[in-house]
Amino acid sequence: MSRWVSQLGALARFLFSILAAAFRLPAAGRKVVWRVFKDQIWFTAVQAIPLVAVLSAILSFLVISQAVKELGRLGASELIGTLLVVAIIRELGPLLTALIVAGRSGTAIAAELATNRAMGEIKALEGMGIDPVHYIVLPRFSGAVISIFGLTILFDVVAIASGLVAAISSGMASTRYFDIVMRSLTYQDLWITVAKGLVFGAVIGLLPSFQGLAARGASTDVPIAASRAIVGSMLGIFMLSVVFVIFAI
Amino acid sequence: MTQPAISFQQLVTVTGGIEFTMEVPRHSCVAVVGDGRSGAENLCGAALGLNEAISGRSEIEGQDLTKMTRTEALAFRRKLGYLPAGDGLMQNLSLSDNVALPLKFGSNFSDKKIRGRVKVILGALRISENAEARPATVRDETRRRTALARALAFDPEILLLEAPFDGITDRVAGELLDIVLGGEHADGSRRTVFLTAQHLPVSLRSRIHTIYRAAKGSLDIER
Repeated sequence: MSRWVSQLGALARFLFSILAAAFRLPAAGRKVVWRVFKDQIWFTAVQAIPLVAVLSAILSFLVISQAVKELGRLGASELIGTLLVVAIIRELGPLLTALIVAGRSGTAIAAELATNRAMGEIKALEGMGIDPVHYIVLPRFSGAVISIFGLTILFDVVAIASGLVAAISSGMASTRYFDIVMRSLTYQDLWITVAKGLVFGAVIGLLPSFQGLAARGASTDVPIAASRAIVGSMLGIFMLSVVFVIFAI
Repeated sequence: MTQPAISFQQLVTVTGGIEFTMEVPRHSCVAVVGDGRSGAENLCGAALGLNEAISGRSEIEGQDLTKMTRTEALAFRRKLGYLPAGDGLMQNLSLSDNVALPLKFGSNFSDKKIRGRVKVILGALRISENAEARPATVRDETRRRTALARALAFDPEILLLEAPFDGITDRVAGELLDIVLGGEHADGSRRTVFLTAQHLPVSLRSRIHTIYRAAKGSLDIER
């Protein structure tokens, strides 16, 4: 138990050091950090677009086409709006997007940073007067936050579009579909989705970086760091999903 | 009496039981030779505030880096040249980008000026033809030359080198030592060089002003 508390304390200090680093970044280093940030966005967001879009389209198509049939039989077609908004847009969208990115990029970040440590790159950076938090962690953290936020929006847009295709193919008029969805969608749903995207992004930017830098410097620590990063990220994302549900009720 | 460039006072590093008390005068080249158990390999890190010491203190230009804030220590290290053991090159950057990195982060030079400076340094270290290669694709010697080029990027007055001659021939070691010394000065070499090693090529010994041997629990002057 005390180990968990100590780990959480270390994680909180690490988060604080990242946030503080954003304000202490030397002017000369901004261009370099910006380039690393763009690379991170390319890898985490742009390259993940096809995967996120396909998964969102399939999930939404399956759920809405089944829902139109089954709920239509019960005369409760109106509920597909609630189903789409609550189940897919508010809950599954941010959750699945975060899990996809945790699996793709979270493990990569942890493995990369642990390798940096094992190859003596972190010590070399410190020795050159370059803060590894500035050069390595900050662009990855901010890149993960922005990427997951953007991918969550993409997931939701594709889900709505795919739901439309499913609804039309199940015999529902497009105007009725949009009417039902728009009536079910509230500002609170949008804010929760946005907040989840940002918070889950912070988890995926934070935990893998923390685990990667915590590696002791042996090459055998690399897979351990990657494994801890993915497990910790998934656990964090699910636990925070519960927290969001509790506060949203 | 002028202040030494680097000094150690009763310093015991994390890996060894030897107490290091020594000074590195300005414009001199000082080497400490000792195996992994002596603690000599951690001296550069201790002086730079990268490794914690068990006891004692170390200073560079009269400054104890362990007493500085993190920001101050980082800024101070930018004035020095440091070659870590195993070179520590960024594997995802080309050799030229590795050399440019400290300049991009620690100076307000324009991109053009940085490119020009990197080109000159790569030429001096004879690695221009591998400039766009990644560290993993080149030989040990080229990596060592690149790490040295990176340490020299700011043309520092003080250089700290960890195991700089491991894995390279005596001839190349002699060439690299000449480059790091940076030519002649009235008091010795242009740069102050402090290096640690497990083994020093015999051919280099005459060019190093003071050689300490750390072994069997004591620190002795060998030359």
